[in-house]
Amino acid sequence: MNPIVKLQGITKDYGQGDIIVHALRGIDITINPGDFTAMAGPSGSGKSTLLNIISGLDRPTSGTVEIENLTINTMSRTELSRLRRDRIGLIFQSYNLIPVLTALENTEYILMLKGMPVKERQDIVRELLKEVGLEGMENRFPRELSGGQQQRVAIARAIASEPALVLADEPTANVDSKTASGLLDLMERLNKEKKITFLFSTHDKNVMARADKLLWLKDGKINDYRTA
Amino acid sequence: MLIRLAWRSIWRNRRRTIITVTSIGFGLAIAIFFICLAEGVYAQLVRDGVRLQSGHITLEHPEYRNAPAIDLFLDRPDSLRAEINTFSDVALTKLVILGQGVAKTGTGSVGVAVMGVEPSVEVLLSPIIKTIISGRYLVDSDNSKIVIGSKLAKRLHLKEGKKLVLTTNDITGALTEDLCRVAGIFETGSEEIDGYIVHAPIRFLRALYNMPEGSATQLGIVLSAPESQNKIKKRVEALIINKHITAYPWQEILPELASYIKLDRGSNLIFQAILIFLILFTIFNTIFMSVLERNREFAMLLAIGTHPALLKYQLLLESFFIGLIGCCAGLIFGGTASYALQAKGFDLANLYTAEGASISGVVLSSVIHARVTPMILLGTSGIVLAATLLLSMVSMKRIDTIQITDTLR
Repeated sequence: MNPIVKLQGITKDYGQGDIIVHALRGIDITINPGDFTAMAGPSGSGKSTLLNIISGLDRPTSGTVEIENLTINTMSRTELSRLRRDRIGLIFQSYNLIPVLTALENTEYILMLKGMPVKERQDIVRELLKEVGLEGMENRFPRELSGGQQQRVAIARAIASEPALVLADEPTANVDSKTASGLLDLMERLNKEKKITFLFSTHDKNVMARADKLLWLKDGKINDYRTA
Repeated sequence: MLIRLAWRSIWRNRRRTIITVTSIGFGLAIAIFFICLAEGVYAQLVRDGVRLQSGHITLEHPEYRNAPAIDLFLDRPDSLRAEINTFSDVALTKLVILGQGVAKTGTGSVGVAVMGVEPSVEVLLSPIIKTIISGRYLVDSDNSKIVIGSKLAKRLHLKEGKKLVLTTNDITGALTEDLCRVAGIFETGSEEIDGYIVHAPIRFLRALYNMPEGSATQLGIVLSAPESQNKIKKRVEALIINKHITAYPWQEILPELASYIKLDRGSNLIFQAILIFLILFTIFNTIFMSVLERNREFAMLLAIGTHPALLKYQLLLESFFIGLIGCCAGLIFGGTASYALQAKGFDLANLYTAEGASISGVVLSSVIHARVTPMILLGTSGIVLAATLLLSMVSMKRIDTIQITDTLR
């Protein structure tokens, strides 16, 4: 089986001269299709940096990043942008929806970027919103939705383009435990039914408990590794 | 979808957008109004100037302009005149004799400019007709009747019906004089015109100057559409190619007026440029603030795979909408005010001195009218809109500097 993500010897340093912060110190990870992986660790352990490197938003100081067998280290900004649009879904901690677009339009946006015709994309998005439990809320603006509902829209947006991988940066951090549990149910179901590969960063023990794989980061290194 | 997004985005900060749109509309309305007003005054000055003189295009003996002498006349230009009268955009043509002389009465003598006119043509266009304050203007059957200005009448103690002797040199250089009677007195408010110009029937002056029947020093062409001046001049020049006649545009006949308009238009342009610059500054501020405020949103859009060019296009659309709404408001307010001033005019009489206002010898009517043209309305708005879009490009550069990971942290 070809891995979706393959990291080899990833390091990331910040700063210059005498003041250098080693955010990542040689990370090797392989994520396979269908994995439901959580990445945990204390603040400053390098979780977000690692997610940024995998998504191509940041470049490693050394090491190679492969997404679906494509080395992305040397890709241009435009190529990386296209890769994220087509193959990687992103879910943020604070939802990051466009406030002036409805739930339907927010989800539709990513398909618009791909140049999909209006009718086709709206049909897909309506179905997706139904799947994430937002049927009847398609025309609501983010301010008219609860935190959990907004994160469901963000999840729908992340999976709308049928990406190979969804990267979620602490997706349950801004919602209460009940809502968090509902969001996890949803992502787990999408993982099982649609075979969407998920990689989370999280502080949430519930998320860690429900993940198939758990990567524990500490001081920029993988400190522990567990499979279900 | 992008259009919808851009449209909704400009209304996120409703108050700021309304202030920006209002300032664009207000500034543009002022710019349009003052341009139309200035163009109206210029058009009025040109119209009165050319009607007082010899039209938008003047045909003369080639040497007359350098050394105006009565013997440099056009000999029987009737067939040429008839042909020009058939041109579209030509309102009418007029034959004129311009000469110098001395007006004498028992109380003194004054040097005057004598203008031989065709009364039936002159009544149709001369601004002097409306300024008769005593007696009447000339009619075709008048022979030795003249019309003089109020200042000249005062100097020579003349009234309607009184006589004066007009002395001059004829085309052979011989001294000649004739007795004239004052048919009417006009008062334009211009010292130059009221104290110097004498209108007399052209037949009377031909006889006085010993000129051939049908001759004149000028053949003037008055246009119904002044903008076709160059076109008509070219057509006329084709007719006079071998006739020892030169065609001049009014700008060469009334150079001071042409220079005044050019200078005034230039200074107006600076004023308008400053005004538009101030408007643009407001627009720039709005667009730039709007980009700064949405740094996080733009970072997220870039993160999920939006090409920077698409975000720039969205910003361009937002600027276009703000500019378009502002320009529409400016067009409506500025256009309406200008149309009202064009249709009804505004009487500045109270602001005038007793002498009235004259520019380069052309009296400015106290009632001013604006001149509204699609070019002014659309041109000014177009400049503001185009400048808005250009300015938005400065803000767009901000997109390229967004550090996605730092902004989303």
